[in-house]
Amino acid sequence: MKRIAFLALLTLTLAAILVLTCSPLGVVTQDRDHIAASSSRQHPTGTDDLGRDRTLRLAGALLIGLAGSASAAALATALALTVGVLTAFAHPSLRSCLLYLGDLFLTLPWLFMLMMVRASLPLTLPPLQSAGITFLLLGLLGWPAYARVCYAEASTLRDAEWLLHARATGLPTRRLVQRHVLPHLRPLALTQFLICIPAFLIAEANLGTLGLGVSEPLPSWGSMLLALQNSAVLASSSWVYLPIILLVTVLLLLEFLTLEVD
Amino acid sequence: MLPRPALCLVLVTVLTPLILTQALPQAQPPELSWSLKYDPTTLDPAKVDDQASELLRYLTGGVLLRLNRRTQQIEPALADSWSISPDGRLVTLHLRPGLRFSDGSPLTSRDVIATFTRVLDPATAAPVAEEFLAPREVTLDSPDPLTVKVHLPRRVVSIAKVFDEIAIEPAGRPSASRVTAGSFTLADYKRGESLHLLRNLYYWKHDSAGTPLPYLPSLRLDILSNREQDQMRFVRGRYQLVESLPAESFSVLARTNPDSMHDLGPSLNTEQLWFNQSPAAPLPAWEKAWFQSRAFRVAVSQSIHRADLARIAYDGHATPANGFISPANKLWYNPHLQPIPLDIPGSLRLLAAEGFHKQADRLLDHEGHPVKFSILTNAGNRSREKMASLIQQDLAALGIAVNVVTLDFPALIERLMHTQDYEAAILGLSNVDPDPSSVMNIWLSSSPNHQWNPSEPRPATDWEAEIDRQMNLQAAAPDPATRKRAVDRVQQIAYDQQPFIYLVYPNTLYAVSPQLTGVALTILQPGVVSDIDLMRWKGAKP
Repeated sequence: MKRIAFLALLTLTLAAILVLTCSPLGVVTQDRDHIAASSSRQHPTGTDDLGRDRTLRLAGALLIGLAGSASAAALATALALTVGVLTAFAHPSLRSCLLYLGDLFLTLPWLFMLMMVRASLPLTLPPLQSAGITFLLLGLLGWPAYARVCYAEASTLRDAEWLLHARATGLPTRRLVQRHVLPHLRPLALTQFLICIPAFLIAEANLGTLGLGVSEPLPSWGSMLLALQNSAVLASSSWVYLPIILLVTVLLLLEFLTLEVD
Repeated sequence: MLPRPALCLVLVTVLTPLILTQALPQAQPPELSWSLKYDPTTLDPAKVDDQASELLRYLTGGVLLRLNRRTQQIEPALADSWSISPDGRLVTLHLRPGLRFSDGSPLTSRDVIATFTRVLDPATAAPVAEEFLAPREVTLDSPDPLTVKVHLPRRVVSIAKVFDEIAIEPAGRPSASRVTAGSFTLADYKRGESLHLLRNLYYWKHDSAGTPLPYLPSLRLDILSNREQDQMRFVRGRYQLVESLPAESFSVLARTNPDSMHDLGPSLNTEQLWFNQSPAAPLPAWEKAWFQSRAFRVAVSQSIHRADLARIAYDGHATPANGFISPANKLWYNPHLQPIPLDIPGSLRLLAAEGFHKQADRLLDHEGHPVKFSILTNAGNRSREKMASLIQQDLAALGIAVNVVTLDFPALIERLMHTQDYEAAILGLSNVDPDPSSVMNIWLSSSPNHQWNPSEPRPATDWEAEIDRQMNLQAAAPDPATRKRAVDRVQQIAYDQQPFIYLVYPNTLYAVSPQLTGVALTILQPGVVSDIDLMRWKGAKP
């Protein structure tokens, strides 16, 4: 199942790259004679309400979403792992501070923080950089819950008898962590990473529906789902449902990858 | 399996109501219903300061003179005649004989004087008082119960229109719209839920056959901020009218309810793009130089495909704009202004004359800076977002790179009004009052709402000084012809200088149930119910 899910995701990604590189149109090109058009030879899955090709926009949203979410997931996992292990092996007073810091991050109103950060970004920031900052913020804000899991696992390892033996040999803590703890935490980190990807994908889509995600004219799941709020768009063509179908498919495939790791 | 007689009984029971509902004409709803987005902020007609309260005052308040929303002319109401002295400082109004409030008590000049005294009293804080320019110096007297004289310290232009905004209340007992001299009276108000209005049985107006008006016995206004829900209730027949429809919703409703939909053409509202010309703006000097250049602004304006904006962003329910007064404002629109042409070669020539040049599809200024800027608009307004994206592609033809940024409203206002940290913005202006004096705060250079360069200590350019002069002239001139000339001149300067690049006038869109007759749709507020007195159910006896 894992292999099928991986192959399906790979196929979708390659297909998206192929569509974007082979098409004479761009993801932002407006065909003003075909606004909210249905399927045609020129636009196989129709166009959006600005006459932009839906297939190209979907391909773009898929690549931006996957790349951004994977990067944010990698950052969040790395932070969670670092904080979790540091907390487990730190002095008890520092451990309490680090745990409080994690709790503090969990209580932050991240939606308002994102709105504040978006509002304070330079207006001339190109859309791709603004998308990068959005995912960076998701990664920076997404680690505390996973850090708790990493801390629990690292604490178990710290108290394990075999590690006490290694410590008794005089191995410094840094080497101990590098050689013995981190390799044991790798499956956990991989699982966390794979869980984070769909979570950030959904987070970006949610932010997009609030106008805070990847900014126009770049395509994103959020902006495409936002269009579904409008009953006029829903009535225009059945192809408008394609983004949500593809998003659910991608999320399911990512979920299958996670299950296999478990 | 059911036995045959039982099956017949079931069929008869199920089918009879279905057949009857198909065969009989649709029953009339018990009362005319529609929705308001928000609660009225006040029920006191003297303190009206928002659209919902204004509608309530229009439906319930008896006024001395009424502005006809179709013709924009003043007509007699509680006063059947009036005159203004040659120096404009004395207004004499003669009341109709036999006027009564909704509780049956007589309405005389004493009530009029009491109402005006309350409105002009600073303790009431009535927004309409400011329209008298010096409200404390206004005095009233009444030689007899049917005559009222209003003495003004100085001439007030369009004074007759001010009387349309003052609802007469019983002397000494203001009732928050419950004892009124208008068509209806407020019977019940549940905050956040609904307002229930009943016909004023003592209303002075009758139709040509002598039947008392209004025809409708009651009205119900629900408080409902969800526009989609509002439209669903209209489709289901629970509401009989929808006001201020978004263009895309209009098209959807028109597919299933073509007889109910009305596009009245351009509204008084405008949608515009402007550049930040403020010297205090935290922008590089070369960008300020672009934005302060008339050639640059005109070149941008001439490169925008306004017909596409109207067709795509408003689904065809908008009209390309060329100035701040819409053609719907028949009295004040300057018909000599031509539509702004789409002229890319002309724009490039204008830019070349200012030292701009193209290099590998990019426009550079005379110092070699690539021309790029951001356009700011409010998140959630799909029509504006679409216009910004369309303009982005239009300006790419000139080699200008545009970044579209949408922000939530508070963040947007912070940049526009306080930090001045933006390059260009797209927003709209809702004009309720057709009189150009209502937009003085936009055009006077000293005003904080003079968006392209707010609160100028003195006019930054000669043309801004000329706009100041003409706007002040129109606000003070006694005769309409002088006012019109001044306003035409301002429109011409705005057309030539393009400090605001007007994009479209969104159309006025309404949905009205075909069950109603006597509906006079108007562009001016309150729109569908402007002629509420004559509205009635089709087939109902007057």
